[in-house]
Amino acid sequence: MAPMSPLLAFAEDTLQLAALAAMAVVYVLKVRWILSFPAGGDRQAPNPGPATTAARGAQHSLFAIALPWEMASTRRHPLFYVQFVIFHLAVAASIAMSFVIPYAPRLLAGRHAVGALQTLFAAAAVMGVIRLFRRISDPAVRAISSPDDYFSLALLVVWLALSFLAAPNDHRRTEAPLLAYFVLTAFFLLYVPFSKISHYLYYPFARWYLGRTLGHRGVYPARQREAAAR
Amino acid sequence: MAERSYKAQKVVDRLKQKVNRQMVLSLEACVHCGLCTDQCHYVLANPGDVTYVPAYKADRIRKLFKAHIDWTGRLFPWWVGAHSVYTDDELEDLKDTVFGKCTNCRRCSLNCPMGVDMATFNRMARGLLVHVGIMPEGVATVAKDQWEIGNQMGVLKQDYIETLQWMEEELQAEYHEPSIRIPVDKMDADLVYAINPREVKYDPRTIAEAALIFHAAGENWTMPSDGWDMTNFGLFNGDDELGAAVALRLYDSVRRLRGKKLVVSECGHGYRSIRCEAPNWARTTVPFEIESSVITMLRYIREGRIAVDSTKNALPVTYHDSCNNARSCGMTEEPRELLGLVTTDFREMYPNRAENFCCTGGGGAMSMSEYAPRRLKSGKVKADQLAATGAKIVVTSCHNCVDGLFDLIRHYHLNMEVRLLVNLVASALIVPTKLKRPQLLAGFKILVVDDEPDVRVYLGKILKDEGCVVIEAPDANQAFRALQSESPDLMTLDLVLPRKTGEKLYWEIRKDERFARFPVVVVSGYATGDSPLINFHQFIRERNLPDPEGFLEKPVDREKFVETITRALVKKE
Repeated sequence: MAPMSPLLAFAEDTLQLAALAAMAVVYVLKVRWILSFPAGGDRQAPNPGPATTAARGAQHSLFAIALPWEMASTRRHPLFYVQFVIFHLAVAASIAMSFVIPYAPRLLAGRHAVGALQTLFAAAAVMGVIRLFRRISDPAVRAISSPDDYFSLALLVVWLALSFLAAPNDHRRTEAPLLAYFVLTAFFLLYVPFSKISHYLYYPFARWYLGRTLGHRGVYPARQREAAAR
Repeated sequence: MAERSYKAQKVVDRLKQKVNRQMVLSLEACVHCGLCTDQCHYVLANPGDVTYVPAYKADRIRKLFKAHIDWTGRLFPWWVGAHSVYTDDELEDLKDTVFGKCTNCRRCSLNCPMGVDMATFNRMARGLLVHVGIMPEGVATVAKDQWEIGNQMGVLKQDYIETLQWMEEELQAEYHEPSIRIPVDKMDADLVYAINPREVKYDPRTIAEAALIFHAAGENWTMPSDGWDMTNFGLFNGDDELGAAVALRLYDSVRRLRGKKLVVSECGHGYRSIRCEAPNWARTTVPFEIESSVITMLRYIREGRIAVDSTKNALPVTYHDSCNNARSCGMTEEPRELLGLVTTDFREMYPNRAENFCCTGGGGAMSMSEYAPRRLKSGKVKADQLAATGAKIVVTSCHNCVDGLFDLIRHYHLNMEVRLLVNLVASALIVPTKLKRPQLLAGFKILVVDDEPDVRVYLGKILKDEGCVVIEAPDANQAFRALQSESPDLMTLDLVLPRKTGEKLYWEIRKDERFARFPVVVVSGYATGDSPLINFHQFIRERNLPDPEGFLEKPVDREKFVETITRALVKKE
């Protein structure tokens, strides 16, 4: 196989590592910033019921996103939930691919693996376009959208499209998309901590605290299931 | 940079002091997905008005946070929609959102995939505005009363004590039993009972009913003479200092009396405040147990301390979960278990428990009269929920919900009554034999005609206590039909009825040969100054009709009412 260009080699490795290091530094600072705010306490007596404790509440809350039947909002919008799952799986897959291509390219050697990834990326890109359309056309969502919301989503759609093109990892035929994919990945790593995309950093904290409090009070896990189990 | 008003600057300064870690996370984590949109009753009742969308309302506060605390917002405000406040008008606008477009019901919070607790920082924003004196007038008045007089309805100590004595005397007279007491400031009681001032002011029968239940259970209980208000306007106006001060008064009362447990009457926000929030506001640990009276009553039945007869509550009932009880305190199953024990026809409302919709009276909304039209409009969601159950009685365990639901029932013309659990438990209570008093009117069937559900419930309760079978009619047409089909022995008649007045009904009855001598006791809602008696007499004189068998003015005195009914029936016999 012909060697890849020095530029692509730099983008796949050095650039990614530098961007990752920068992102890690920003994230450490951001977590420290979050922890610099005093945490609200739960001084009240716990709810007297073994089914609902702070620990169980936190656990339930953290994984609630995987339990679409638990929230009226996700039950009411199943298609939106499916979009969410596909979109986020694709993002996770693309992040993983940015490590696989430079460090474990054999994992992408099979046609089926590449085909599955490309299907996922294509579906997610379509979901992203649908979401972008919804953000523009739905008056309620439009009213709450900031430039960051539009930009982040548009950027992800482009990135997913590039992921689709980069997945075959054939630098002889697709060097330009590969290069674009890695440059955009590096840009993401730098941009994400300052954008709405950093919600995944906040998610575990926000849900853990909410779940801990609601579990302590006997709200989480939802008590109707406790009643049904009696 | 634009100059900031004094108040706006104070709000900005205080924001930095008030946000804690949980709030920062909630303010940062929103991805503007819009899934919260149709979880809010305001949105559902106002489709197309984006200003009611929970994320939009939350963004009003988030913009301020981003402008002053968030990293990106401080560097690139336009990019993330950061915006500070500069003028008092902007603060007024914010007031309209945080007080007038949200009841802090927390439904959006529990339905946010990211775990953004919008209700918590909406409350915080209310507190920022209250700190600079910007709030609805009613909120200011109630908060002032709670700060200065010690309870949110400005009930004076003398009135409170006299009401307790009055209820005690009523119970003793009703059951011919001097041992029924409402003990005040009794030391070392097992249970200290604290109530909502609304009970003293508008619904003292709930105090009597609770006292009867405690007595029947053989409880060693008391009520404090000071620091007795279990409600807490600090929860509504976001003022942690008020919340702490109010709760500490009650905690101190229990400590002073060396009580072993604090039991609070049915009030969603009161229970949440005193049990869950106030230890955090006051930064204290409470050394005694705090329990809702719902759980206490259920415990009595489970332990066999009181017995109940569910057939006494045979009408179909449904249950409205108070937001504070269900979404912030996890009290969803106990009321249902209790209802299962004291009623025969319970019908679930959908959605329910933590997914239930707000009664629209929460978050202090009942004290904000300027937002009443909005509140009633948004109540369409709740009204539809209520109507779908087909129940005749909606039970709740919250005084705020009672008022909120009562308004909706009236506004949307639902044929329902609102009751508290204590009403139904007291009604189903199998009174120990030694407490049973003679029933003067046992076996008589009485038709109560009044358009006010509360009056029908009140009069009906008195008559049922006397052993009567009670039929109710909210208007003249239904009353006339009931007269023909149910063959009652007597009718109590309100003169002010919708569509056809009581006077016209009286005329029709008297014109009809079948009912010409049928006993009617007029129960009028007019004050003497309005001279309804004179007008009524003029009305019947002009038509040459006989006088009714009795005439009573509202508010109706129990003894006088029973006496009048008895006299009318004796006359008939």
